[in-house]
Amino acid sequence: MTGPVVHDVYSLPVDDNVNPYAFSVDLNGQWFLQKGKMIAYYGQIDFQGIGHGRLDRLIAGSFHSPLHAADWVVAEGQGKMLLADRAFDVNSFDLDEGNLTIRSGNLLAFQPSLSLKQSIIPGFLTLIGTGKFVAASNGPVVFMEPPIRVDPQALVGWADCPSPCHHYDHQYLRGFLGGLRAHTGIGGASGEEHQFEFVGAGTVLLQSTEQLMPELATGGVPTEAGVPGGGGHVPQSGSQLPQLPGNLGSLQRRFGL
Amino acid sequence: MPFTVLNSRMVEARIGPGQRMFSQRGAMLAYRGDVAFTPNIQGGQGGVGSMIGRRIAGEATPLMTVEGNGTVMFGHGGHHVHVVDLTGETLYVEADRLLAFDGSLQQGTMFMGSQGGVMGMVRGQVTGQGLFTTTLKGQGSAAVMAHGGVIELPITPRGPVHVDPQAYVAHRGDVRNKLSTALGWRDMVGRGSGEAFQLELSGQGTVYVQASEEKL
Repeated sequence: MTGPVVHDVYSLPVDDNVNPYAFSVDLNGQWFLQKGKMIAYYGQIDFQGIGHGRLDRLIAGSFHSPLHAADWVVAEGQGKMLLADRAFDVNSFDLDEGNLTIRSGNLLAFQPSLSLKQSIIPGFLTLIGTGKFVAASNGPVVFMEPPIRVDPQALVGWADCPSPCHHYDHQYLRGFLGGLRAHTGIGGASGEEHQFEFVGAGTVLLQSTEQLMPELATGGVPTEAGVPGGGGHVPQSGSQLPQLPGNLGSLQRRFGL
Repeated sequence: MPFTVLNSRMVEARIGPGQRMFSQRGAMLAYRGDVAFTPNIQGGQGGVGSMIGRRIAGEATPLMTVEGNGTVMFGHGGHHVHVVDLTGETLYVEADRLLAFDGSLQQGTMFMGSQGGVMGMVRGQVTGQGLFTTTLKGQGSAAVMAHGGVIELPITPRGPVHVDPQAYVAHRGDVRNKLSTALGWRDMVGRGSGEAFQLELSGQGTVYVQASEEKL
């Protein structure tokens, strides 16, 4: 067994993982990071909330969902910065003129050369352009190629492939017993009647467990006809009402409970 | 069908026509091909009798049947997954630790008291296993969940293996176990070492131990 490794400013890796749970950024310029994900830094680094004065121009270039910008800070300066998130596995990914969509709670930081947009799938963010970003996942990320159907909770994101569609196990739901179970929850549902289905060319990123990181409230979409989720309902981070089993959950919502 | 280990917390299983496997409900992460997931009220194999037995024993974890043709990826709750291949032996494991297992394995419920009498029942209480545990027997594989990584300790007739009851995950083979106590006056006055109870396993087989004292 080896003892703890002592790092200093020179021995810290350059834009690479220190261990599976911490990532070292060699900062020379600007990076965007989600609030509270920096754990330590060397050098001269300023952390500024977005939306103040001279950084406004930056937002215009990199953020395209202004409501969401409040969750981010700009790290500016020179030095080494360590990023981590609640001992989740951290990984960096390189995008080269590409696009990648990721669950909002999983994205930790990204280079300003990427631009961040809101995906039309609620709760997901899309990064477009060239650059590096850092994302957390519960357990190591597994890369899969479509066609594949994925449990909604196990999905981290996807790259270069068309957005997913919902898949329901219709044969099961249509059957009498299955329908009864799915609608009342009596007898138990398998919990696997619904998946996201990916087709086409690209890569799907899965996390190996179904435990989710608390979802960040990404900015609500404008209330406008034709915009999915345009009802103006923004999911509150982390807190969800306990749902009744089966489709009674939606009744609950209809009654405004 | 064998499990392929994708990483420490995720396994992939191939399933072919006519084959069947059981998994904990909601533990499917992704799948390819034409696979159907049906909730299984009975909580596993056997008829209604087995179901009642499991209900009484408190070993009725919600299971689902996985059938079809394709590959399925399993994982649950961020727990580490360990694959146990059985060739005729019996695996003793708590039902809620079972992530998925082959339909070819015979599932049963065992009364703790039948292994070590009253002390076996005490052991069940101490380890939080309850009075009953699940057995899997036959040819096939099972994916077992644990908090933290799993190590396998061989049990040989030469000497017993002692395991912390909280770190115990499962065991297999022809193994006798008993709870050994090292209670002294220090434990009575609250100055014990915290290791007063140990699980002593002897015989021929393997015990699986997790790198944590946390229960699932």
